[in-house]
Amino acid sequence: MLELFTPHRETWLYRVNPALKFVVFFAFMLIVLFNQNFHFALNQLILYGVLVYSFSGYSWRKLLLFSVPIVISFVSSAATMMLFGKGVTIWWSWGLIKISEESFNYGLLLGFKTLSFGFISLVFLLTSRPILLFYALMQQFRLPSKYAYSFIASIRLMPVIVEELQTRSDALKIRGVHFPKGLKGIFQRLRMYTVPLFAQSIRRAQRVAVAMEAKRFQMGAKRTYYYPTTYERVDAVFVIVMVVSFASALVLSVR
Amino acid sequence: MNNHQQNSIMQVSNLRLKFPGESSLIFKDLSFTVSQGEKVLLLGPSGCGKSTLLQVLSGIIPHSIEVPLKCDSIQLPESWGFVFQDPDTQFCMPYVDEELAFVLENLNVPRDKMGPLIGKALSSVGLPLPEQHILIQTLSQGMKQRLALASVLLLKPDVLFLDEPSSLLDPEGTIQIWDSVKEVAAEKTVIIVEHKIDHIADWVNRVVLFNDVGEIIADGLPEEIFDQYKQEIAEYGIWYPQVWEDYLVSTNFKEINTLRRQENLSRLKPQKTIIKLQDFRGYRGKIEKINIPQAEIDGGSWITIIGDNGAGKSTLLLSLMHLLRTTGQYELNGNLINLQNRKKSPPNELSLVFQNPELQFVTNSVFDEIAFSLRLIGLSELEIRTRVMSLLELFHLNVNEQRHPFQLSMGQKRRLSVATAFAHGTTMLLLDEPTFGQDARNTFAILEKLEQLRSGGTTIMMVTHDRRIVENFATEVWTIDQGKLVKMCASQNVSEQKREEKHCAGIIHTT
Repeated sequence: MLELFTPHRETWLYRVNPALKFVVFFAFMLIVLFNQNFHFALNQLILYGVLVYSFSGYSWRKLLLFSVPIVISFVSSAATMMLFGKGVTIWWSWGLIKISEESFNYGLLLGFKTLSFGFISLVFLLTSRPILLFYALMQQFRLPSKYAYSFIASIRLMPVIVEELQTRSDALKIRGVHFPKGLKGIFQRLRMYTVPLFAQSIRRAQRVAVAMEAKRFQMGAKRTYYYPTTYERVDAVFVIVMVVSFASALVLSVR
Repeated sequence: MNNHQQNSIMQVSNLRLKFPGESSLIFKDLSFTVSQGEKVLLLGPSGCGKSTLLQVLSGIIPHSIEVPLKCDSIQLPESWGFVFQDPDTQFCMPYVDEELAFVLENLNVPRDKMGPLIGKALSSVGLPLPEQHILIQTLSQGMKQRLALASVLLLKPDVLFLDEPSSLLDPEGTIQIWDSVKEVAAEKTVIIVEHKIDHIADWVNRVVLFNDVGEIIADGLPEEIFDQYKQEIAEYGIWYPQVWEDYLVSTNFKEINTLRRQENLSRLKPQKTIIKLQDFRGYRGKIEKINIPQAEIDGGSWITIIGDNGAGKSTLLLSLMHLLRTTGQYELNGNLINLQNRKKSPPNELSLVFQNPELQFVTNSVFDEIAFSLRLIGLSELEIRTRVMSLLELFHLNVNEQRHPFQLSMGQKRRLSVATAFAHGTTMLLLDEPTFGQDARNTFAILEKLEQLRSGGTTIMMVTHDRRIVENFATEVWTIDQGKLVKMCASQNVSEQKREEKHCAGIIHTT
């Protein structure tokens, strides 16, 4: 699992301040969300595609693997809009399905947005260590330390929960629990899994919290940082590159 | 006593404390003083409030855990460190160096001074890691506890609170953590709560004994307390140094031994083979994790599986239960099982008890928990009631049958999980460290129940680290090394019995 998320080389994107990267990419996502211009959406998609496939530092095989869910959501969102969207210039229709020029274009636009969202998240996740993100958010963006460390602690507890889920599923098999089909079965399954897992997790979380306070963690107190994060030259490069390429995406779409 | 008060480092007088939702007070006017440099061991039955007292004296109660308490006066130590019981829930960072740095960050230590301090802390507890940036989850449990100790040493504490730091460790880890404690805490004041006192009984210089309502019944030098209150200590389930020797001469164990001897003598023809394995392999994903070249399991035997951490002991149990992908030959009661079938359900003849009983409970009451598998096979409610009642009796679970399984004590949960596994009449019971983390009384109770089942014809297979269990209860020992069954032999105790048998037979022959 860990090997899967180890890049084969660390590109310049890794050295960018993770909090800055987070804010810039988050702004991009908002723009993707509200943009309705087809060409602008396409240009942005190309920009984010280039980021993922050239500067993430992962091998092609892994990148293709990571792209699978993104492509699937592209196809499903675009196809739904194309087949069932409203439009005047009808190209083809059969029963409920109606493909029109407008619905086709709108479907593609929606698909591009989905792809862009996927690419932005992917390039961020692949090139940032979560711990450094939280350290940078604390230092550059004044995120209260209690939130940062509770996120970090919860990342650490994640594998334990996966393991417990597996044990619970094995235990249910051994006890001979069978779930009925349909909605009732889903609810029963949910209850059988969540109750014990929640009980374990709550207890664990409380123990970790007490242990953290026993190590003199104080909410809101002044502290030093093991990973000092600052702005460096690469951050300026990052901002310039992003602004320039983003502006050209915009300008090229207007012409 | 006057001397005590003069250089006391912490004290509390007339402490009263009550957990919300509990009907009675944990402490009723408890007074307790510790002087500088003392090494105090708190002993008492589970649930008597020893751990709570540590939390009060450190200030964790009420600062971190809000519990209403009242006392006439309280003096907390100025600097202290706390090592908790569970190695997996006292770290908040993923890597060793980050965890230690977290403490230094809290203390406002400048970044450039952190590196050397981290290295020093690690080597002082005997963990001189060549690379400090390694994942905590890759450490053994014993190493994790030493890391926990290292992290509290960075607080430069005068007082160390140790709340059962070795109770969830294997024998090797237990030795490691206590060696480290003795190394670093020679000059410090240390307060320990622990059931496994083998390694510290001669190191502490004061023992305080509590009864089950949280009153101090004895307080003095270790030799005196161990001598005068031997009966209480045994009753409270404490793993005092000679606990096994005393158990082996107890009437309960003698009875077991006599019955076993009779069984051996009366066993003329060899027992029926339940399971035959040939070239049996279990996989996690695509990786082979366990390999059994050849093995047979006889009905009515008690097999213990031993081996290092991560050697594949639990994997073996999961493979036998069809919970992992397996290949090879697996014959159960003479029937060859088709291992290619992907959708096989666990065999009815076998049942597995996991390490954490809570993950195995499926209903909301003790009664329903045992009745669950009986209802599955379609027994009438009347019959179910009689069967459940007899099982509750057999496993010594005399609690309200409507109680939620999560509300039971540690030992009761464990016994209930064994009872549920046994309910639908399995012929073989697989257990993953059933006595792990249990006090001595619970351990012997579980072992006696298992022996009772075994003499009734159930086959027992259990993973354990406890050498004494292997020696005294097992009939057979399997050793697993790096994912392979490398050795199968009769247990020492059994071979002794065999020798005696021959001896007996010889006498009979000559007369």
